[in-house]
Amino acid sequence: MSEDFEPRIIGFLCNWCSYAGADAAGTSRLPYPPNIRIVRVMCSGRVSPELVLRTFREGADGVLVLGCHIGDCHYTDGNHRTAKRIPILRKLLSYVGIEPERLRLEWVSSSEAQRFAQVVSEFTETVRRLGPLELKGGA
Amino acid sequence: MDRLDLLREAARKVLDSGQVEGVLALRADHGGTVPHLFHPGDDLSDLALWPKFPLPRTVDMLLSSHPEARLGIVVRGCDERGLIEMAKRHQVDLARLTLIGLACTAEEVAYCPCTRPYPNEIAVGEAVEGVEHVLAAEQARLSLAERMAFWRRQFAKCFKCYGCRNVCPQCFCEQCTLEDDLWVERGVLAPPFPSFHLIRALHTVGKCIGCHECELSCPADIPLTILYTLLRQDAQEMFGYEPGASLEDKPPLVVAGVT
Ligand code: SF4
Ligand code: SF4
Ligand code: FES
Repeated sequence: MSEDFEPRIIGFLCNWCSYAGADAAGTSRLPYPPNIRIVRVMCSGRVSPELVLRTFREGADGVLVLGCHIGDCHYTDGNHRTAKRIPILRKLLSYVGIEPERLRLEWVSSSEAQRFAQVVSEFTETVRRLGPLELKGGA
Repeated sequence: MDRLDLLREAARKVLDSGQVEGVLALRADHGGTVPHLFHPGDDLSDLALWPKFPLPRTVDMLLSSHPEARLGIVVRGCDERGLIEMAKRHQVDLARLTLIGLACTAEEVAYCPCTRPYPNEIAVGEAVEGVEHVLAAEQARLSLAERMAFWRRQFAKCFKCYGCRNVCPQCFCEQCTLEDDLWVERGVLAPPFPSFHLIRALHTVGKCIGCHECELSCPADIPLTILYTLLRQDAQEMFGYEPGASLEDKPPLVVAGVT
């Protein structure tokens, strides 16, 4: 791994809580690593395993999924699905040799700007330590 | 009487009961077996046991095309579990079926490692103990790099015949994600790592009843059930869900509620 590896991180943030949290972090001028590219989704339940896998295939080194806390989902229980799918997907990633730490799910509310910045910083460091994800090539 | 005779007798009894239009079972054919609907009065001498073949989807087809019909069906443990999962998803109406339960022999269990090689009600044979999936257990001891190397090599053999999906008693979606260009590019062989196979593996969660048919039918000899078995164990641990165990348990990934 080269010293100056900058991980590419895609964050899927639900519109109602986490995206607002990220927004609040921005307006409060809280610093967080620029490695994350944010994709706004209507609900964390929208983030299908297929979408995560495709994101890795497209070159992401880490995928961060952020949604409303359990009980706060705008669609009542969209995040219940997320809460079960992501851990299963992490298991499966590990079975085929992909570090499960490259995929992380957290709940971040609209008022948790500080927490948003902290999660992104931590996750970026985790992925930086893991190095680039090489999915292409090789038989 | 040997097991096959007992099975013929059990099928005969159901056929003679007047309760069913026919009994779905396997028929000997060119050294193998094919699904066959035996009618009352039919000669049952070519009713066969082995090689096994999953019957749940065939019976689903028959029940749909004959909405009034009631049928008997020979079920091994995996077939019965398959029917239970299908019934939960409104694929089959169990009230229209008479199950003829068949317990697998130790020899058969060695062929497709199964933790519960018998149905709830056994009409023919005796329950033998299930076995662990040795290869799945061995995977746990590999490093991440070794796993990646192993599965890259395995998946590279896939030529997307879709046999694994077509034979699976739990694959009945009208539109298959594995045919969606967005997730699995068409016309690309082998499917780019890790698209096709991880998607299929995830779709078995809460459904796969461990019949091993996918792996048995894979012409490229990819040990698919290693992944499905590991995920089944995870779903059991994480959600306490065991596919096919009961009609009442709700599939964890599709219902609300967190544990
Ligand atoms: S073992 Fe294979 S064919 Fe059988 S239910 Fe599981 S995925 Fe489907
Ligand atoms: S049966 Fe084997 S070769 Fe055919 S699509 Fe499935 S994994 Fe690929
Ligand atoms: S709307 Fe935020 S997780 Fe569902």
